[in-house]
Amino acid sequence: MIRVTNIVKDHGPVRILNGASLEVAKGQVAALVGPSGSGKSTLLRCINGLEPFQEGSVEVGDALKLVGGAPHPRATLLQLRRTVGMVFQQFNLFPHMTVLKNVMAGPVYALGAPRDEAETHAKKWLDRVGLGEKHDAKPAQLSGGQQQRVAIARALAVNPSAILFDEPTSALDPKMSAEVMRVIDDLADDQQLQVAMVIVSHDLAAVKRIADVVHVLGGGKVAYSGPAQEAFAPGGPAAALE
Amino acid sequence: MNPRWLLAALALLVGAPAHAQDKKDEKRPLRWGTDPTGGAPYVYKDKDGNFVGFEVELAEYFAKELKRESKMVSGDWDKLPELLGKPAGDDGIDIVLNGYELREDLEKKYPSTRPYYVYKLALIIHKDSADPITGWSDLNREKQKGVKRSVGVLGGSVAHEYLKGDDFGDKIDLKINPDVATVIGLVEQKRLDATVQDTPAALYYIKTGKDLKLADEPRKSGFYVILTRQNDNELRDQLNAAIKKGIKDGTFKAIYEKYGLWNEDQERLLYWTEQPWPPFAVKAEETGGDGSGQKSVNWNRLLNDLLKAAGMTVLLAVASFPLAMMVGMLVALGRVYGPWLVRFPLGVYVEVLRGTPLLLQLYCMFYIVPMLAANHLGVTLPNNPLWYGILGLAINYSAYEAENYRAGLLAIPRGQMEAALALGMNPLTALRVVIVPQAARIVIPPVTNDFIALFKDTSVCSVILITELTRKYNELYNFNRDLVVQLAFITAGLYLVMSYPLAIAARVMEKRLATAGGAQR
Repeated sequence: MIRVTNIVKDHGPVRILNGASLEVAKGQVAALVGPSGSGKSTLLRCINGLEPFQEGSVEVGDALKLVGGAPHPRATLLQLRRTVGMVFQQFNLFPHMTVLKNVMAGPVYALGAPRDEAETHAKKWLDRVGLGEKHDAKPAQLSGGQQQRVAIARALAVNPSAILFDEPTSALDPKMSAEVMRVIDDLADDQQLQVAMVIVSHDLAAVKRIADVVHVLGGGKVAYSGPAQEAFAPGGPAAALE
Repeated sequence: MNPRWLLAALALLVGAPAHAQDKKDEKRPLRWGTDPTGGAPYVYKDKDGNFVGFEVELAEYFAKELKRESKMVSGDWDKLPELLGKPAGDDGIDIVLNGYELREDLEKKYPSTRPYYVYKLALIIHKDSADPITGWSDLNREKQKGVKRSVGVLGGSVAHEYLKGDDFGDKIDLKINPDVATVIGLVEQKRLDATVQDTPAALYYIKTGKDLKLADEPRKSGFYVILTRQNDNELRDQLNAAIKKGIKDGTFKAIYEKYGLWNEDQERLLYWTEQPWPPFAVKAEETGGDGSGQKSVNWNRLLNDLLKAAGMTVLLAVASFPLAMMVGMLVALGRVYGPWLVRFPLGVYVEVLRGTPLLLQLYCMFYIVPMLAANHLGVTLPNNPLWYGILGLAINYSAYEAENYRAGLLAIPRGQMEAALALGMNPLTALRVVIVPQAARIVIPPVTNDFIALFKDTSVCSVILITELTRKYNELYNFNRDLVVQLAFITAGLYLVMSYPLAIAARVMEKRLATAGGAQR
């Protein structure tokens, strides 16, 4: 589903990623862990083309491929971003739109869906994240946890086949974190959804619970890929992070 | 104490300063007010940069006769009489000597000397016009259906008064300008159909200018006089004596011949040095409110004129500002999101427009650009000053708006654009639906502020022949000098009445946005 091959990413004189590779299968939940500054978020942002990279490639499905070293073709980028959703640490909801409009934004402005269709669809997703009552609220009127749930609904509303979570709970207190993680957990368990998920998170307890596979990033590479249980086992590659 | 001593001491105290004053006055230069931009043949600069002109020579003659030094003081032509109202110190003037016609309304405030020149009004047109004006009566004939002849005049002149009178009035398209040379230039470029000027200017420009001619015999003769302060009787007598002498001994004739201004009309000057002056009864209004039975003020007409002009002010502001906003937004987007090749020229655009005066920009657009276009590209640009006014204001303000919007765009967190892109929107859509609406909210206060500023800046359009509120005020003030204060208050009031609702609207909008919730982060 997602195949990252030998990505090299420089930020000015600093090499952040130095040949990182990983694969995430359809319906799989992958966690990306590693020490601070190891390039987890950068790798996520390379996957959906928010960051250009110098070498390597990103493939999504059979048809979409970003190749490092040159500007990505616009058509490919658009298509890829419609296929791979993203949830940000700071939510990044559109503050001038209502909650419902935020969730409709992708279908309407990116996919060109008719408004009424988009609205029904958006409402369905808002119900799914437990915010069916908040259609007309503005983001500023919601708690952080609620905002992040709206952001998740917004990312899912374009029917992506993969979704990237970039530290989705770091800006939240433990209670709200748990509330957001429950939603992600619920999506991960949904056998029908079949969305590949990549989660970057410091909440290792939640990661252990949710993730099928853990990728440990170190030295600009993916140093380990394997089942969560193994990764977090005493003496395992991710145990030191705890 | 001996009372005689006391008396002597008193005499010294009282008399000595008075005496000193007289002596000082005698030595003081004769400060004469003029507007050198009015130009030839009155007062202008020769090739070496020295002021010449028949009035410069007259002033020198008068100063010599009065045993004083001639000192030229420049000011705006239509405000010269007001300079007499200032104390005759270093910044005031003693006389106005600048083609001022004898006018009843001026006479009671600023009594005149005997005339020093007999002028007529001359109708000047381009030599080879496709549909020439054949004479005075032909001025009222429309060019095409609904298109009146455009006629330029010097604001506040007798020509101006004559053309706005009943004979022409609404039947011509009267264009007011404070500068003779500019109006003449526009006739040369065929951008005005005609201009009416006093004969000295007319004869001079027909001789020296390109492709100009008189359309008809000059008419409506009048006198050029020197304006003085009311209580300067002695100075007036001295000047009158000098005028009489100069006419008699041929000094005036020599000066006028030098500038090609001598004609048989001037023979009448001598006659008028011996007649009662002024040749009409001056109402004694200055001593009290005994103005009854005189021409009453037609307030209806004045207010109507001001309101109409206020309408032009509104039109200029309302038409130009949306344009300024649109252009400004494009410029801001280019500067924030464009590549270097776009950013750099746009930066230059903003700095040039912000760094040069609006007045100069309007002047260039209206007078210089069409001339260059016609001479070098063979393109005839539209002639209606209104277009240039709207466009000029819009372009100038677009620079300020661009900076407002740029600040607004930069204030939007980067995550907003990323979130929009991550949804698969193309960058233009992201700008349109996510970034610009948020930036627009942030910049409402400065943008409203600019709209109010633009409202008042519309007055600058008067330099390109547009009669808006300030121009109209100036014009009315010229012919109603008793009402200066009232007219000024009404004009200021109109500006306030028009701009205050905007300020309120802005405040309401700001409040609403504040309650709608701030930006994220």
